[in-house]
Amino acid sequence: MKRKIVGYYFITYLLLAILLIFVLFPFAVMLSMSLKAPDEQFTSPPYLIPHRPNLENYFHVFGQGSMFARYFMNSLLVASGATFIVLGVAIFSSYGYARLLFPGRGFFLALILLSQLFPLAAIIVPLYRIMGATKLIDSYISLIIGYLTFSVPVGVWFLRGFFLSIPQELEEAAMIDGCSRFQAFIRIVVPLVRPGIGATAAYLFFITWQEFMFALTFITSESKRTLPVGIFDFVGQYETNWGNLMAASVLICIPVFVLFLFLQQQLVGGLTQGAVKG
Amino acid sequence: MKKERGGSIPPPTFVMKRKDVMKRNRKKEWIAGCFFILPSLVLLFVLVFYPLFLTFRYTLYDISLTSTRYLGWATYQRLFAHRMLPLIFRNSLVWTIVVVVFQFLLGLSSALLLNRSFPGRGLARGLVILPWVMPGVIAGMVWRLIYDPQLGLLNHYLRQLGIIAQPFTWLSHPKTALYAVIFSAIWKGFPFSTLMYLAGLQIVPQELYEAAEIDGAGGWMKFTNVTLPSMRPIITTTLLLTFIWTFNYFELVYVMTGGGPAEKSHIFPTYVYDLAFKRFRFGLASQFAVLDFLFLLVFSLLYIRTSFRREKSL
Repeated sequence: MKRKIVGYYFITYLLLAILLIFVLFPFAVMLSMSLKAPDEQFTSPPYLIPHRPNLENYFHVFGQGSMFARYFMNSLLVASGATFIVLGVAIFSSYGYARLLFPGRGFFLALILLSQLFPLAAIIVPLYRIMGATKLIDSYISLIIGYLTFSVPVGVWFLRGFFLSIPQELEEAAMIDGCSRFQAFIRIVVPLVRPGIGATAAYLFFITWQEFMFALTFITSESKRTLPVGIFDFVGQYETNWGNLMAASVLICIPVFVLFLFLQQQLVGGLTQGAVKG
Repeated sequence: MKKERGGSIPPPTFVMKRKDVMKRNRKKEWIAGCFFILPSLVLLFVLVFYPLFLTFRYTLYDISLTSTRYLGWATYQRLFAHRMLPLIFRNSLVWTIVVVVFQFLLGLSSALLLNRSFPGRGLARGLVILPWVMPGVIAGMVWRLIYDPQLGLLNHYLRQLGIIAQPFTWLSHPKTALYAVIFSAIWKGFPFSTLMYLAGLQIVPQELYEAAEIDGAGGWMKFTNVTLPSMRPIITTTLLLTFIWTFNYFELVYVMTGGGPAEKSHIFPTYVYDLAFKRFRFGLASQFAVLDFLFLLVFSLLYIRTSFRREKSL
């Protein structure tokens, strides 16, 4: 019996080790390069563990002539702007889709799903031309508008799942006690679904924070660039500054990793509930 | 309702009241529903469906930065004769199918592993999600570094193991470029499948396992006869989602190979982007985009129909 337990743990941890090496190896590469001084970066053959780890690259990323801090603020502004707008819109709509019976509900829900079917590359051309015609190109607004195209459907879908998980009896009781539908929604439902709203906000921030295609296309001036495009500053035509690039990458990962750390439970719930319930 | 002796009792009054309230509200419900969903519908139509309609219209034109020329349906003849179309289509299919299949296998097996009970499970689950959380552009750059012929650790390790003699340029060889990106895409995306299947494993009824054990089923029998059938709905959904996302996944290919070498590793979204914003051939780009959309639409409809039918017959 004891032998069986030892065997069970041995196999479990062996498989786990293989899985984690596969999963974590690129992170190790990123971290290792970010801690290497220039003379260590180009040694042949390469090695994973830096001999003299130091933070030089990180200081460089924030140092003189570097736009990183600016890009960081731009990303923060655009991602949180889009997140707030989508939340404001999606809280109402997703409740409507989850609860209210109105004609065409199924049709409109299908439209939201349909909007996930085409690549963003398919609507970026007309959007680009519209932005050009309205002189919005190269502005934060254009980027936020671009982000709404994919984050509104995601936000509505996500939040709808959270609303569905709240028992309907609560609102009905409130409405029998004289609340209007809207009052019941604001006073009863929204407070209950607050964790879900937090998870949705985190997910929206996560997808807008790392968006690349719109950011690459709509923003032309350096001062308005966001991080995913900005890190290509370190990629030269002939030579890439891998140390700085990886240090910047670590810094870009940190906010989303922290978000996930704190909201993991709700986020996983939000991602999987629709599928689990069929 | 409890039956009492001696005559019928009226149903509790609150039930009637509640029904009345609900009925009275039916009409209000319609109006409220419209108000609740209106903002998102307006955004959806202005920002998504109107541009999509424009994309469809652009396919009939030859559009460059300076001129617009109407060509009509003849453009589609040119599209189907386009020299890149077979390659793009093949690449997209290979890319999507290989990535989806391996994400399924890896996702399911890692979910089974992480569903066992052992100390440190919570931490392991958290770590496995990380690739999926990493921004796509950064994942692309890190993998470029790993594959790099001089600085990359992959070549170094493979040489130490005696598998290759000379450093190999994985990302700039036409035979390997797409597959190298595919490998990274599997790494990047499989944690989503893991999450879905882990959630799916929680809803498999435990009684079924017990019943199977009484019938003398071993581990593999239990897996194929209890686990897989119970998880069928979630597997169906996850496969469709990953298929659509992978087919339209832009960043990894764009960052790692840019479609190269010699345009050999382009898939639909990267080629559309290249046509539009490197060569400014907006009309042709729209045609490729529409093809992408229509393919996914037809595929999804067929997929949903066949999987529903199978579920009904079960």
